[in-house]
Amino acid sequence: MKSKYIFIALIALTSLAFGASDSAIWGKDLIANIAGYDKEGSLHLGKYFTLLQSTYFKPLFFGVLVGVPAAFFIHYAVIGPMIFSHDRKKIYVFTLFNRVVHAISAISFMLIIPTGLVMMFGSFFGGGSFVRLCTEIHAISTLLFIISIVPMFFMWVRWMFIHIDDIKWLMIVGGYLNKDKKPVPAGRFNAGQKTWFWLATLGGVLMISTGTAMYFQDFKLEIIASYGISQIDLLRASAITHNALGIGILALFLVHIYMSVFAIKGAIHSMITGFKEEEEVEILHSSFYKELKEKKEI
Amino acid sequence: MSESSRLKFYCDENRCIGCDGCSVACAEAHELPSGVNRRKVVTLNEGIEGLEYSLSIACMHCTDAPCEEVCPVDCFYIREDGIVLHDKDICIGCAYCLYACPFGAPQFPQDGAFGTKGVMDKCTMCAGGPEETNSHTERELYGQNRISEGKVPVCAAMCSTKALLVGDSNEVSNIYRERVLSAGHGVKTQPYGWNVAYGSKK
Repeated sequence: MKSKYIFIALIALTSLAFGASDSAIWGKDLIANIAGYDKEGSLHLGKYFTLLQSTYFKPLFFGVLVGVPAAFFIHYAVIGPMIFSHDRKKIYVFTLFNRVVHAISAISFMLIIPTGLVMMFGSFFGGGSFVRLCTEIHAISTLLFIISIVPMFFMWVRWMFIHIDDIKWLMIVGGYLNKDKKPVPAGRFNAGQKTWFWLATLGGVLMISTGTAMYFQDFKLEIIASYGISQIDLLRASAITHNALGIGILALFLVHIYMSVFAIKGAIHSMITGFKEEEEVEILHSSFYKELKEKKEI
Repeated sequence: MSESSRLKFYCDENRCIGCDGCSVACAEAHELPSGVNRRKVVTLNEGIEGLEYSLSIACMHCTDAPCEEVCPVDCFYIREDGIVLHDKDICIGCAYCLYACPFGAPQFPQDGAFGTKGVMDKCTMCAGGPEETNSHTERELYGQNRISEGKVPVCAAMCSTKALLVGDSNEVSNIYRERVLSAGHGVKTQPYGWNVAYGSKK
């Protein structure tokens, strides 16, 4: 009786051992991948990845990293920040829950983005243990991002759909090209904030999934395999998507920081205290202000 | 050195019997951890009569090595003799080299508490790494350095059918050309018979 169980346990263990040795990358797919590399009918992802990573990604990241702050520097020098009166009433716009979720997400971004850039410009830092540490921080701080992204999506999504104000807002670039205090067409969130929201949440999900795929590397997802996509092609596609989307996220992240810290004086306080200056709402979120007025909430 | 004098591997598919001796020899010689296969024998068109053949695959030490092009930390370097090597102290284990490689050559040992991947390991053509030649550290990180001792890489050295060739690419192609040209020559198609086997030579 006992020997039967030992026998079953042994079989189970051997199957486990064989299961572990069956790699999704270096297993039987290896032959098909070598034979089909860049052949007609293949996805050509190996070639595309090599071209993009060797030639385009680094300069593009560098361009955004230098170009966006440079553009803001000029904006700050030529047009200057918007300064709103801090003497009028304050409007409560962000609940404690909003602020906590935003804070978690902000911390994760401040860890993920610099470490990601260290990886992209790894040769500048000489590689080795420092860059390796950054890859680990990059991966671990994703957990913070994951726990903030879900509540963030659901708490703000209802105000994030496109509105006629957004087109008007885009036409005048949010009113940032001059210092006139004319009411800017925008609801609770303006078109820029909406773009950032969608890029950070939906784009964030894509960043998380592609990043996770690259981090764990050797696994098999039946659903992907059923489309005839090999694991190595999935990884190549992940790397391309992760880096291309990363450029956009970096750009809007820099915009977000410039707006909150420099372009609109004191705007960052609304995410700490929850209150916005009345004048700021009146000018930058005029439709929202009207709505509040109609509801007699202010 | 000119472009033609690069060291290359070539596996003669007419000779490879898929015995896996090369990959076993490699793993033993360099004391590789389990899960790291610097060399692997693959069988193509398995089960199709007349088309089935085996090949021994490892890092092919490409002339235009794509791994070197994509590496974000530039840990690769190509020796004057064409051997593609990398520095494990610089490598961050990002696996971009694996995505770029057509042969699936880069390997990643399981490392750390959560079984995450460590730094990359691949075939060195038995030429060690950037550490001091034949030092203990070099051996620990990259395995034997047989090239410095004037020896043939262990996989090709022990290949029983001499299917796996390694050396100056000109030499390798000469050997292969000779093999192709002499194919069929000197092969007895008739049985020897007693008079031939034991008879006097003419």
